[in-house]
Amino acid sequence: MSSITTAEFRKGMFIIFKDEPHQIVEFQHVNPGKGSAFVRTRLKSLKTSRVQEFTYKSGDSVEEFPVETHEMQYLYKEGPDQTGVKDKYVFMDNYSYEQYSLPESLLGDFVSYLKPNDTYQVMVNDDTAVGLRFPKKVRLLVTEAEEGARGDTVSGANKVVTVETGAKVSVPLFIKQGDTIAIDPETGTYLERA
Amino acid sequence: MKTWEKLRKDPSLWPRYFVREKVTRAIRTFFDEREFHEVETPILIAHPPAESYLDVFQTTMFDRHRHPATAYLSTSPEVPLKKLMVAGLGNCYSLTKSFRNMETQSKLHNPEFTILEWYRIGADYKDIMKDCEQLLLFINRLTASTSMLRYQGEKIDLTAPWERLTVAESFKKYAKIDFDMFFDIEEARRIAKEKGYQVHARNTWEELFDQIFLNEIELHLGHGKPTILYEFPGVMGALAKKKSSDPRFAERFEFYIAGLELGDCYSELTDWKEQKERFKKELAEVKRLGKTIYNYDHDFIKALKVGLPKCSGIAVGVDRLTMLLTDTDDIADTLLFPGKEEFSLLE
Repeated sequence: MSSITTAEFRKGMFIIFKDEPHQIVEFQHVNPGKGSAFVRTRLKSLKTSRVQEFTYKSGDSVEEFPVETHEMQYLYKEGPDQTGVKDKYVFMDNYSYEQYSLPESLLGDFVSYLKPNDTYQVMVNDDTAVGLRFPKKVRLLVTEAEEGARGDTVSGANKVVTVETGAKVSVPLFIKQGDTIAIDPETGTYLERA
Repeated sequence: MKTWEKLRKDPSLWPRYFVREKVTRAIRTFFDEREFHEVETPILIAHPPAESYLDVFQTTMFDRHRHPATAYLSTSPEVPLKKLMVAGLGNCYSLTKSFRNMETQSKLHNPEFTILEWYRIGADYKDIMKDCEQLLLFINRLTASTSMLRYQGEKIDLTAPWERLTVAESFKKYAKIDFDMFFDIEEARRIAKEKGYQVHARNTWEELFDQIFLNEIELHLGHGKPTILYEFPGVMGALAKKKSSDPRFAERFEFYIAGLELGDCYSELTDWKEQKERFKKELAEVKRLGKTIYNYDHDFIKALKVGLPKCSGIAVGVDRLTMLLTDTDDIADTLLFPGKEEFSLLE
């Protein structure tokens, strides 16, 4: 493992915090007073998915938790089994054909945009999938759209459509069934007609 | 998409941006009723106040022969307001823009921000606490017609008295630290280490203080009721008067609502000799930190020599106040032209 300082922090990076791997979900530099600079982070535990805040002194060192990014195809969702294990999402490595699974807690809202057979960037540490690098946009087919919907008059011209993964998205009125649209998976907002 | 484009697309967003005009109107009414003078202070200045924790914006002024002179953007209206009090102005305030550099990537900062500073003659920091209680209640009643503030799912009762907690009490209550012991740098190092923080030889006492404050204390402040956190260690606050009964502390307070710092008050230091010494120390620190170097304002020391009447004043962040009143967690949502839309560096 390699040691890094707070200057090298990047969103999405994995570090060891209190002996456990955590992902940096967010970080901000803060200057509370006399000459001291700090980095306020939101850290998500890889084990429990719990998010907590910690403020590092600027220049503190931490261990980076090494991850490799593998291109993988999403295969299917494995439902909750009798032993109480929650939903798991199964992926296959495009090169080794090995299978990996990610729990819903590590995918968050992104599960509503996962499309079988599409390729995603999955992060792996020591042969275990630890997360997915969320793309800036996902392209999905509109499967249900009301024709000539009048939309919400307050916010201009929008209507809600359903895409192939079942997710609902607010889009401009001109979007029709059969169109492919680009969505920002982080906010769930419509970006453009693809 | 820029804010003006979002507003064009979705006119229902406008009311959030109209809160600011209500806030500034309320502030002016409040001080007008109390017979404070509103004055304009310069934004383009020759000497920023010597405060080592601030990073200044520097620019160059030229005369018609292209001779250059260094100019700075004001970090606060404090020094010009104090000169006016020396001149005999009396109670006064300024509602203006201030600029602070190197505060990027934050939901709580914008490089240019609106600051409200007011000063009361003959007052000390405890009088300003009461002003704060009254002002916030006044603004909230005018903008939301209630004494209850709703922010990010919390309810905060703005009626006086607010919670009052000394810095030493807050360390005891939330971090289980005996502040009398913590004053000693070696003890502070031991305590921080025991708590699992990294302690390096280069770390200053202030850094150890701030790290514990930011991790263990700040988040607890201002829930249910606003919190006035008072009597800061004397080393923090270049323009504050020391507490006469215990000079380890300065007569200074900050107030917090829902974990958010909104204002910073001092009983003003009126002793010109001590002020000059502190400025020199601050500037040595500015140099040590490798920040933009400037001279302190000799004219200000001259004014203090003439005599600043006993007074106390406070700086309140108007953008953060607007965040509270619009129930948003990002300062950019209160600004029609947020810095990050102008400069990609700030994204």
